[in-house]
Amino acid sequence: MSARERVLERVRSACQERERTEHPGAFESRDAGADPASRLTTLATMLEAAGAEVVRVDGMVEAGKWVRRFANDFESVSVGVTVPSQLRPTISTKGSHEAALGLSMARAAIAETGSLLMDARDGRRTQLLVPTHVVFVYQADVHPTFRGALSSVRADLPSAIGLHSGPSKSADIAQTLVTGVHGPGRLIVVLVA
Amino acid sequence: MSGHGTPNRYRQQATHTIRDEPYVRESVLSGTDRANDHRNHAYAEIDADRWRDWGRDAKTHTLTNLDRYLEEAERNLEANGVRVHWAETAADALTVLRGIVREHDVRSVVKAKSMLTEELGVNEHLERLNVRVRETDLGEYIVQIMGEPPSHIVAPVMHLSLDDCRQIFQQVLGTPRHGTPEELVAAARKALRQEFLAADLGISGGNFLVAETGTVALIENEGNIRLSTSLPRVHVAFVGIEKLIPRFEDLAGFIQLTARAATGQPIGNYVSFIQGPKKDDEVDGPEEVHVVLVDNGRTTLLADEAAWEALRCVRCGACLNICPVYRQTGGHAYGWTYSGPIGAIIAPGILGLEEALPLPFASSLCGACADVCPVRIPIPELLLHWRERAVEEGLTPLTERVGLEAYTRAATHPLLFRAGGTLLRRTPWQLGGTALPILKGWTQERTTPEPSPKSFQALWKEGIE
Repeated sequence: MSARERVLERVRSACQERERTEHPGAFESRDAGADPASRLTTLATMLEAAGAEVVRVDGMVEAGKWVRRFANDFESVSVGVTVPSQLRPTISTKGSHEAALGLSMARAAIAETGSLLMDARDGRRTQLLVPTHVVFVYQADVHPTFRGALSSVRADLPSAIGLHSGPSKSADIAQTLVTGVHGPGRLIVVLVA
Repeated sequence: MSGHGTPNRYRQQATHTIRDEPYVRESVLSGTDRANDHRNHAYAEIDADRWRDWGRDAKTHTLTNLDRYLEEAERNLEANGVRVHWAETAADALTVLRGIVREHDVRSVVKAKSMLTEELGVNEHLERLNVRVRETDLGEYIVQIMGEPPSHIVAPVMHLSLDDCRQIFQQVLGTPRHGTPEELVAAARKALRQEFLAADLGISGGNFLVAETGTVALIENEGNIRLSTSLPRVHVAFVGIEKLIPRFEDLAGFIQLTARAATGQPIGNYVSFIQGPKKDDEVDGPEEVHVVLVDNGRTTLLADEAAWEALRCVRCGACLNICPVYRQTGGHAYGWTYSGPIGAIIAPGILGLEEALPLPFASSLCGACADVCPVRIPIPELLLHWRERAVEEGLTPLTERVGLEAYTRAATHPLLFRAGGTLLRRTPWQLGGTALPILKGWTQERTTPEPSPKSFQALWKEGIE
């Protein structure tokens, strides 16, 4: 008998000894805002509480202007695969392990937890290696609850999803909060209408 | 060093920490105070009772149907292109790892924080194979340099002060003797970034494994888990078989519950959902992903009529933070990977009761742990369960057994009880100011008790004032 069979056999015999219980059903959480405006407010409040910066722009044109202005302070940029061409700044591009700035497109956002849902298809290295990370998310892609966001992507899963809810941080050393440990120390979220 | 003990020497190790390392207690008290504060706030923001009921019920459902969920997870992992391995014991798990190391000629490994890999002894095994292994969680990095195990499930270096960390970083990374936490972190970021980019293999644990989608879910704050599972060309995740959850949607409940219970955050700043190796339409990510499903004593717990409930544990560490016993010593005194109340109720299943014996007794049974557990594990009941089992199996100390038998006999025979009382009252407990040797353990820290000159019954007859 293989290890698999031996383990499964013991699990089966333990399960047979015991009454099988029902799943309690869907996890119901707080109401994070049924209407789109309060949803955005919750998302922004949660993100800011976790140490991120939030910018709201009115459409793609304004988003493009904002990012070109913002990128001027940086030497080089690494841009995620799914970031639309209007949102690409004109500064020089570099590999994600060298670039000063990273731009990514979030697939969705979660108001309840203040999270950006980052798809591996946008490129994981840009999401993780740059010191300053700008993430665009369409306001229409903001889900009120975590559960709702999960069910919206469940049918089309990439190799990995990362939820980013603030800058990289640690309080391991003497319980003192420090940002920028391994991932980006600065997270700027651009909510695009 | 205090970290390399065994559960069997719990009393000596705890005494050593309290007497010889008073700064440990100071650090642990302040760290756990902070964690308790954060958790209390985070629970107050939600309908915590209802969330915890849901957590308990969803885990109980999974465990009572674990056979079919394990098979479902295996099917979906394989459909995603993940290579699935089963390990009955720690030795099995390490054999799987050795196979992967040989197949890919692995020279260097970056490790994300994982208690299961501590339990299995993964680092020691890799070193024996001449593989360079680097812990990348900041706290784990520090204990790895010190050659110690972590002292807390969530905060590995809760027992260390800022000055302890400064000394270590000065020696290893050349940071200033009085460096700020920011300076220490910046030095670690720089050193570890090179290791991430160069590593051949990334190793992680798994907070949850979703049967429905074959998703390994991981919660963190630093980004080292995302990096360890994204940059190296091979990723191996070690996952205990009790980590299964049924549906992808269930992650919404479990991740929020775990984060709120562990650190008081609504969610960790980074959460990873890993389905498998890099797909054709993706630009980066590992080419190969392995999941090792580990038993190592978990089926022993599952078969136990009471202790199986401990397998609901999500490893948040809340029971450690609130435990008045853990708070005095930190985790090293327990002499095992999982310390505190949760460690004491899973150790007998994983190590065997005899090996784990002092741990279920290292509790005042105050019940605080059960009040904070996000999946409502009846920890005090399970501590008692293992104590009863220890008595049944004759594992308690001989003096205790003989003493209790003698007391039982005396208590059921009034004449014998009175005679015994008279004898004890007349015993000269302090001969010439020195306590009798039998009291030595007690009187090391306390004054010798003086017996009352008259028995309670005599006082009662005279009329108690």
